[in-house]
Amino acid sequence: MALTKVYDAATVFKHMNGILNVYKPAGMKVKHVRNAILSNICKGLNEMEQRKPRKLQENIRLLGTGTAADHVLHNIGEQTDLSDHLLSTGPRYLPRDLICTTVSSLGDHTSGVLLFGINRGAGQSTSIRKNRPVRVYHLIGHLGIATENNIPDSRVTMRSNHRHVSADRISSLAASMQASHQRKMFELCGVDLQTQEAYELACRGLLRPADDSQPVVYGIKLIHFDRPHFTLELHAINETQEYLATLVHDMALDLRTVAHCSQLRCVRHAHFDVTDSLLRHAWHLPGIIKNLRQQRDILRAHPQLLRQQRVELQATE
Amino acid sequence: MFCSAIRNILRNSQNAVITSQIRNLRGQQSAHHEVEVLTSAGITHKQNNKKTEPAESEGSKEVALDFRNREAHVPSFNLAAYVNNSSTLQQFISLGVDLHSIERRKGLGDFVLKLDFEKNVKPYITFLVDQGVSPDDFGRMFTKNPLLFKEDLDDLQTRVEYLKSKRFSDEARQRILTQNPYWLMFSTRRVDRRLGYFQKEFRLSGHDLRLLATREPNAITYNMEHLRKSVFTLKEEMGFNAKELSALVVRKPRLLMIPPDDLVERFSYIHQDMGLPHAQIVQCPELLASREFRLRERHEFLKLLGRAQYDPQKDLYISPKTIVEGNNFYFVRNVAKSELETFDLFLKTR
Repeated sequence: MALTKVYDAATVFKHMNGILNVYKPAGMKVKHVRNAILSNICKGLNEMEQRKPRKLQENIRLLGTGTAADHVLHNIGEQTDLSDHLLSTGPRYLPRDLICTTVSSLGDHTSGVLLFGINRGAGQSTSIRKNRPVRVYHLIGHLGIATENNIPDSRVTMRSNHRHVSADRISSLAASMQASHQRKMFELCGVDLQTQEAYELACRGLLRPADDSQPVVYGIKLIHFDRPHFTLELHAINETQEYLATLVHDMALDLRTVAHCSQLRCVRHAHFDVTDSLLRHAWHLPGIIKNLRQQRDILRAHPQLLRQQRVELQATE
Repeated sequence: MFCSAIRNILRNSQNAVITSQIRNLRGQQSAHHEVEVLTSAGITHKQNNKKTEPAESEGSKEVALDFRNREAHVPSFNLAAYVNNSSTLQQFISLGVDLHSIERRKGLGDFVLKLDFEKNVKPYITFLVDQGVSPDDFGRMFTKNPLLFKEDLDDLQTRVEYLKSKRFSDEARQRILTQNPYWLMFSTRRVDRRLGYFQKEFRLSGHDLRLLATREPNAITYNMEHLRKSVFTLKEEMGFNAKELSALVVRKPRLLMIPPDDLVERFSYIHQDMGLPHAQIVQCPELLASREFRLRERHEFLKLLGRAQYDPQKDLYISPKTIVEGNNFYFVRNVAKSELETFDLFLKTR
C-alpha cells in the first residue's frame, strides 16, 4: 500500500482508530496523560485543512435595503453561510468528539507502557482488557529506607542496615516467591501440583484469574543489583502500584532489612513493548498517527490479543 | 393550569427547533436533515414576523440593516445563529474576532450582540489605529476583551496620555496595548497604584519599571493577591535578597504570574539537585520559567553523559541557560552533543 500525504483533517479523523501505546511519565496521572493526548490530537486536526463554510440555501428571503454597501446582501450574494464560519462556530474538533478508553490504568508514580483505545479502537481495548494479558514491570527497590506508602514521595518511617544483603540472597528469595505464587494458583484451581490434571492445565497455557480482583504474580527475577538499589523483573496480572510497592517492602523484610520502591516501570503490556511507545515530546498528531499504525501491525501479527480461547480464563476463582 | 401547560409545550417545541438548528451549525448532518431544519426555522421566522410587526416597522426606519430586533425573539445558545443577519457580527468576523470564545464567557454574548458597528466599534478602532496598534492584532484583542467598547473614549485617551506622561515610548505603548487588551480597562489611578507597588516592592528605577511593564504588560494588571504571594515565595521561601529579586523580576517578569507552588518545586530542583547558587539563577531566570520535568530530563541526561558541569571556572562548562533552550532535538545535538535515539532510550528508563 502506497503512502500518500494527507492535508485534510476529515480524512485523518476518519482513520484515527486503534490502539495507542503511550509512555506515561512517572508523577503524571493517567487522566492528565489522556487529556494531553486528546488536546494535542485536536490541536493538530484544527491546524489542518478544514471544511469550508456551508453555502446558504438558494431561496432565502432577502431582507435589507439592497444598496451596494449592504454587507448582509453581499454575503448572501456569495452564498456562504457565515454562521458556519470557524470564528462563529469555534474549532471543528474538540477533545470530547474523540472516544478514548484506557486498556488498564497505571498508578501515579508508575511510568511506562500505557495503552489507549482511540475511537473505534475502544472495542479493541475492551477485548484486550477482558483477555487479561500479562504486564511486565521493572521495579527498582532502594534498600535501607522504608517509607510510609513504600514510594519515595512520602515520609521515611524506618532506616536499617543492609550490608548482609547480597544478589544471591535476593535471587533465591525471588525464586521461592515465584514458586509459592505458582503453587497458590494451582491450589486455587483445586488441583494437586503432582497430578496429570495439573499438567494438562499447565499445557493449556497461562492460568489466568477469572476477574480483576486478585493480583497474580507469574515471575519474579533479580536482573540488576547495585547496592543500595536492586532491580526486579516481575510478570503479573491484576496488579496495582500499591501491591507492587508492598511486595518490594515485604521482600526486604524477609531479607532482614527494609526497602521502598524508588521506581516502577511497566516495560511490556501483552505484545506492546516499551520500545515503540510514544514519548512525551512525540505526543503530536503525526507521531500519534504513526504509533496507531505500528500498534495495528502488532495486533495483526498477534490476533490472539483480541480473540482468545476462554478455557483457561475460568481456571482460577 | 391549562394555559401554562400549553405554554410549556410551546416553549419545548421552540427549543427543539433551536437545538436542531444548533446541531445543524456543527455541520455534521446529512443534507436531508438540513432541509428539514431550515424549513422549520423559516416557519418560526414567519410566526415571529406576525408578532413583532408594529415594533419592527418603527425599527426599520432607523436601522435598516440590522435585524436583531426581530432576531431577539428567537432565543439561541450561541452567537452563530445571528451572524447571517447582523452586519456587526459579520464585521467582527472579518476582523478575526473569535465569537465562539466570546459567547462562552458570561454576559459577553449579549453585550456583543447589542453593539452597533458604526456607532460603538468604529471609533475605538480608529482610536487604536491612532495609537499604532496593527490591524492584525484587532481580532485577538477584541476576542480577549470585548468590554473595551464599554469604556468611554475620553477615558481611554486619558489612560494613554498617562502612559505618555510616564515617558513610555511609542513602541512601548503599542506593545502594552497589543499584549494586554485589559490594560485600558484600568483607571489611571489604579494603574498608577500598581506601577507604584512594583517600583516600591522591587526598588526599581524609572527605566527598569518601564522595561518590566513593556516586557510583560500582563504582570501589571495581574491579580494582586497572586502577585503578593509570588513575591513572598521569591523573597521568603527561596531567599532571594532585594537586589537579586529586582534583577530577576526585570529579566523575567513572567515569574510573577507562575503559580507559587510550581515555582518552589522548580527552584528546589535547580538549587538542590542541580546545585546552582542564587547568583547563577539570577543570571539565567529562564531556568525558573521552564517546567520541572523538562529540567529534570535534561539535567539527568547530562549527568548520565558526565557533562553536567555548571561551574564556569572549570573545564567543559555548560551554561545553564542553554539547557532550557530549544526543543529536544536542538538540546541533544548542540548541548548534550549526543543522538536523539540515545535520549529517547534514556527517557524510557525513567
